[in-house]
Amino acid sequence: MTEPARSTRGRATSTSELRRMNRVPAVALASAAGFAGILALHASSGAPVLTGARLGTPGSTVPRTTAPSTTSSLPPTGTPRAAVGTSEQYGYGVLAVKVAVRGSRIIEVSMAKLQTAEQYSQSLAQQVIPTLHNEVLSTQSAQINGISGATYTSQAYAASVQSALDLLGVK
Amino acid sequence: MIVHTEPVMGTMVSFHVEPGECPVKDARAAVVSACKKLHELDAVFSTWKPESPLSRFRNGLLGVQDAPSDIGLVLDMCEEAMVLSQGWFDPWAMPGGFDPTGLVKGWATEQALAILRQAGVEAAMVNGGGDIALLGLPKGQDTWRIGIRHPWRPDALACVLEASTAVATSGCYERGPHLINPKDGTMLFDTASATVVGSSLPFCDALATALVVAGDDGAELARSLKGYDAYLIGVDGKEEATVGVVFAEATVV
Repeated sequence: MTEPARSTRGRATSTSELRRMNRVPAVALASAAGFAGILALHASSGAPVLTGARLGTPGSTVPRTTAPSTTSSLPPTGTPRAAVGTSEQYGYGVLAVKVAVRGSRIIEVSMAKLQTAEQYSQSLAQQVIPTLHNEVLSTQSAQINGISGATYTSQAYAASVQSALDLLGVK
Repeated sequence: MIVHTEPVMGTMVSFHVEPGECPVKDARAAVVSACKKLHELDAVFSTWKPESPLSRFRNGLLGVQDAPSDIGLVLDMCEEAMVLSQGWFDPWAMPGGFDPTGLVKGWATEQALAILRQAGVEAAMVNGGGDIALLGLPKGQDTWRIGIRHPWRPDALACVLEASTAVATSGCYERGPHLINPKDGTMLFDTASATVVGSSLPFCDALATALVVAGDDGAELARSLKGYDAYLIGVDGKEEATVGVVFAEATVV
């Protein structure tokens, strides 16, 4: 057998209703801070908190209509501070990461520098960058354990993040 | 907590392991075994290496009866995933011949987690390039919280979902347009990202791919899936989810 019989028999079962989402995505709430602005999480059964919100649309600062319902993980207080980590070789060039913290909690991670060696396309570098947000989040935040959909990773990215954290005097 | 990142299968696979009662040295040994397993599976299933058993199988140089038994196993899973996805996941319709990559990465990641489970670790997350296999619970939490990558902002998340076993996300953002509609060969889709949460990571992986290429039919397909929940982001930014998807909602200072 080299090619099993193909079947496209469908399933008629429809146990779940697809719902149109009006939920404000996390990133929109976090505004420019991106994912790292997420500081407290609670489960939502999907009740809409806003109408008409879409990912990536300029509605990123719209107010929530529901109050935060958790008191178990109060956000750290203090003024946000930022530092740029050391430039690190990442296999296709050089990168440096900017990290912003409030207290000891990372609230933003972004690329401060990204240089790609000539033989590699910039698009390849872009692929590498989604990277190790994963590691950063799991070690720095008790809130998010992993990231689905971000394929590439880089030790250089983590190293630059660490050096930025060292500069900021947080672990 | 043991943290390890292994470059394999053309991506990075990260391990987060909470040994619990399992001796730390045994947990570390299990991570090493799991990495070895991933490299073995990569050697069998690589479509890039012409000498790999899968490459030889798809080129007709190796019959399934002579191939490693894992190939037969994956063929069976691919058939099942094709039925489950109503034909939208179809590794037989890929240009260049049979290509189970859309299921194998999730399956291999699940195999790696199985080795950690056998070793008796208390909790673990294996993230195979965005395909996530989970065991137990993270320390101090009553659920795993998995960020879903924002489809067009690489440094951002679209949302955070709660999960207990497996999560996979597929989209066209990562490697450019590489997904193909098995029914008409087109490569442009109205769905930017599809995430599937469920009990089996290889099926989550295959179904996530299917939901992206199904385009307008994705919503209907998502509704038809028993035991799997789906979260879709359209190219227009619209989000849809089946009722079983649990969002960890964000509160921002």
